[in-house]
Amino acid sequence: MEYFRNIKESFKLKHYTNYIAVAAALVLFIVLGSLGALGRSDLVLLHRIAYSIVLAVSLNLVVGFLGELSLGHAGFMCVGAYIGCYFAIGISDKVGSPLLVMILSMIVGGLVAAVFGLIIGLPALRLKGDYLAIVTLAFGEIVRNVFKNLKLFGGAMGMQTYKISYDQKTLYIVSFLVVLAVLFLVQNLIRSKHGRAITAIRDNEIAARAMGIGVTYYKLFVFVVAAFFAGVAGVMYGHQVSLITQDTFSYNYSIEILVMVVLGGMGSISGSIVAATLITYINFVLQNQLSGDLAALKLLIYAVILVLVVVFSNAPALKPLRERFNFKALLRKITKAHKKPGNISDDEAEWNRVESKIKMDELLSVDFQNSKAYTPDKKSKKEGK
Amino acid sequence: MNTTFKRGFAILLAALMLVGTVCLSACGGKTGNDTYYIGATGPLTGDAADYGIAVNNGAMLAIEEINAAGGLNGVLFHYEMKDDKATAADATIGYNALMDAGMQISIGSVTSGSCEAFAAEAVKDNLFFMTPSASAANVIADRANAFRVCFGDPDQGILAAQALAANYEKIGAIYDTSDPYSYGIYEAFEAEMSKLGKAYEVKTFDKDNNKDFSAQVEALKECEVIFLPFYYTEAGLVAKKCAEKGCTADLYGCDGLDGIAGQIDESVTNHIKYITPFDVNATDEKTANFVKKYREVYGKDPSQFAADGYDAIYVIFEAMKAAGVDDVNISASDLCQKVVAAITAESFQYVGTTGTMTWDVSGAATKVPVIVELQ
Amino acid sequence: MNLNILFDGLSLGAIYALIALGYTMVYGIAKMLNFAHGDIIMVGAYTVLCMLNLMGSPIVALVAAIVLCTAMGILIEKIAYKPLRGASPLAVLITAIGVSYFLQGLAQLIFGSASRQVSHLYLGTFKLGAMEINVGTVVTLVVGGILMVALTLFVKKTRTGRAMLAVSEDRGAAQLMGVNVNRIIMITFAIGSALAAFAGLFYLMSIPSVNPTLGAMPGIKAFTAAVIGGIGSIPGAMLGGILLGMVENICKSIPVVSDYTTAIEFGLLIVILLVRPIGILGKKRREKV
Repeated sequence: MEYFRNIKESFKLKHYTNYIAVAAALVLFIVLGSLGALGRSDLVLLHRIAYSIVLAVSLNLVVGFLGELSLGHAGFMCVGAYIGCYFAIGISDKVGSPLLVMILSMIVGGLVAAVFGLIIGLPALRLKGDYLAIVTLAFGEIVRNVFKNLKLFGGAMGMQTYKISYDQKTLYIVSFLVVLAVLFLVQNLIRSKHGRAITAIRDNEIAARAMGIGVTYYKLFVFVVAAFFAGVAGVMYGHQVSLITQDTFSYNYSIEILVMVVLGGMGSISGSIVAATLITYINFVLQNQLSGDLAALKLLIYAVILVLVVVFSNAPALKPLRERFNFKALLRKITKAHKKPGNISDDEAEWNRVESKIKMDELLSVDFQNSKAYTPDKKSKKEGK
Repeated sequence: MNTTFKRGFAILLAALMLVGTVCLSACGGKTGNDTYYIGATGPLTGDAADYGIAVNNGAMLAIEEINAAGGLNGVLFHYEMKDDKATAADATIGYNALMDAGMQISIGSVTSGSCEAFAAEAVKDNLFFMTPSASAANVIADRANAFRVCFGDPDQGILAAQALAANYEKIGAIYDTSDPYSYGIYEAFEAEMSKLGKAYEVKTFDKDNNKDFSAQVEALKECEVIFLPFYYTEAGLVAKKCAEKGCTADLYGCDGLDGIAGQIDESVTNHIKYITPFDVNATDEKTANFVKKYREVYGKDPSQFAADGYDAIYVIFEAMKAAGVDDVNISASDLCQKVVAAITAESFQYVGTTGTMTWDVSGAATKVPVIVELQ
Repeated sequence: MNLNILFDGLSLGAIYALIALGYTMVYGIAKMLNFAHGDIIMVGAYTVLCMLNLMGSPIVALVAAIVLCTAMGILIEKIAYKPLRGASPLAVLITAIGVSYFLQGLAQLIFGSASRQVSHLYLGTFKLGAMEINVGTVVTLVVGGILMVALTLFVKKTRTGRAMLAVSEDRGAAQLMGVNVNRIIMITFAIGSALAAFAGLFYLMSIPSVNPTLGAMPGIKAFTAAVIGGIGSIPGAMLGGILLGMVENICKSIPVVSDYTTAIEFGLLIVILLVRPIGILGKKRREKV
């Protein structure tokens, strides 16, 4: 009896909201799909959203939780897409079930990408901030350039994957299940002691080291895990398109993933899911609605949305406005009646979103000392001199 | 932004997605079909947009003409091009969106890479497409529903190799290692040259380095001819670099070179020759009429891409006419069957702005290549 | 090794160096990666193109480009970056990307996506021994050198320049000393954008073609150059730019290697940063607890 009560007490609904939301969306779409309400492009969109979520969540591990800026995420995806799909094409004759082919190729693509993650994690031990950002960007471009020249993968012609292209009607279901699996792994990682070690490194590397946390190990670990998931996303991508070409994985794509992470909120898994969905959706709608002569407007509209959203959600001057008009306030209004004052402290041990204790400029600036005094009109915490 | 907010938002999102997608499929649904729906994808933004826009312009001109003349037995045509930024992923999305909107027949994609993705999807639905400009060999290979207006890449490479080997001694070549079109032609060129036992010097570039050609031109300065199997934007830069470096070699290109006139000025004195089926100065009625109209509507000379787009639409129209299509609600697959039968028939011949063409089951157009020298 | 190839590399490098100079200025003082810098160059290049067609004089075109780019730089700073002062630099990075997309989209809307060729910018060549020397390259190098020296003098000798250094060292302390931080950052953007206008003109001298995405790749390459040279360092930007241009051109002239030009350039960056994590001429800074 005691045991069950413990389980009941340790069960916190909020730990499961992401799963529930994704699973509910999946069920919803399966129902809609079976009713025939989903168009073919909707199926493509759903799949695209799924692998965008995987990409954003995995990049969030590096940027949001470890606190290192990476602009080479598309490079890992590129490795995963080429290697995983090459493997899948190879085994598709021998293995009958396309689902099994897909799962096996995801593992292979992910593992090879993880090896590359290890390679790019090494400079991360030595470099910080913008320097690491440009090195990861360079890495992504190098990967792309090398794949362009490899005849084994079709060279400039790209690698044809129509042999393994999955039935669109069920592909999105598989990819949503992959999203659930990735969420399961990532969230449990973040809530474990390893996750706490990772966020400790982000908040203060020297202090973390002093506490006996293996900084080297965890930094490499995060890069490897993130690269693995990016590789998986690459394989998912390859199963949908019929041709993999290297120019898809340019630094612009890495930046798009970073945009998802930043807009969703650093270190917030739910935020990454929401932002990945919305950005993919916006791009998709813009692309499909603006055909012909109107296509030139696409970039402009996207740019304006991007700048407005970032300025609105980040500008210090707009803080009062943000506090008045947001979903949190709305939700509070709705749920006010049910809230007991004593229960509020429940929110504390919340590993879903780990607030950063440092200003994010330390992530971008090489110099810890200077960045402490980042804002002229705020009081500097720095002591001495 | 805290978790409560996020959670609320996530759930809200699910609802939003639901509304959005249902709306998408509902609003973009079949139009009740009082027109035939011709779809296409092509780069309307990004670096390759010039080519996509040209095809789109040509195709729209053809559609306007056909519709103004009463369409097919009184049924008009609806045409739409989705932007694919010349990428395979976006071509897939564009294709599916077009199918949702009720596409019955298509002019495929503009660039080879996207058209490969387009074709792989189209073959599953058995949708007929007649690509204006995707010349890579694999686009139409083993696909009964895939046809093209332009020359194939390997043919052009072989033709160029033969022409160059016969007329020049010191031969140079530059190609784009990141572009399927350029790479496809060069591969065939290379094979043919080694078959002919002719030596030549080759330099490369790629999409990330496609602006500065000084190193390549410097190395090939002494050649009598430089083979340029890529599009006119880059070729124009090569020509200008030649002028700058005092390189007098002839410049020899393929059908992508058409349009180079707009990219060079009087400083370029090299002879520029290219294989093309389309000559903007041609005097035959069809071409002259097309060029005149194009200038009126868009205020500039049509490139070969525009002519290809124009022809592709007309071929589809003629083939549908020849097949006796009379049902506006005909499915893509049925239409494909009829059109393929009509287009591969002995008697079917199309005289267009890019020459006189016939087709066999392979999907490649048989037409006579002309080597044009730019004046 | 063909000397001409080295010289062409120098010419390309000089352009990278000019762009890198702008990058380094803005980074050093505003502490932000201005991803839109490459697109300011594109704006400059289009201005040069229009003015050349209208007036025919490169000098007038350059002046117009400088005026427009500077105004643009200030405007962008005011609208997109200033509201975010004090917010996370990543947010600023994302707006910079947004601005970059915006400028590209705008250019595409106004001028179309087709490349436009530019005439009348070619200044001819002269022979020096075995080398064929392009006058345009000499002009680029000389002007680049002059700009570098002028910029260094400006930063070291003038009040505004020293205020810039102060802001770059410690923004809070500079504020306390009476430096108007907002004004200094605005001036930095103005100077960076004016440099971009120069880069736009010299870019067109060597590569006479304009399109909306013209600035993207040179921007990234120049940023790489700035990091190689040590970001924040003015001579470092010059050195990094020229080094990168040379390497690029040498790679392009060797068969097979030329297929991997981009990989080699970025590989160079990684190697240099691994050996010297602050770039060749970067200043060492110690991390304190």
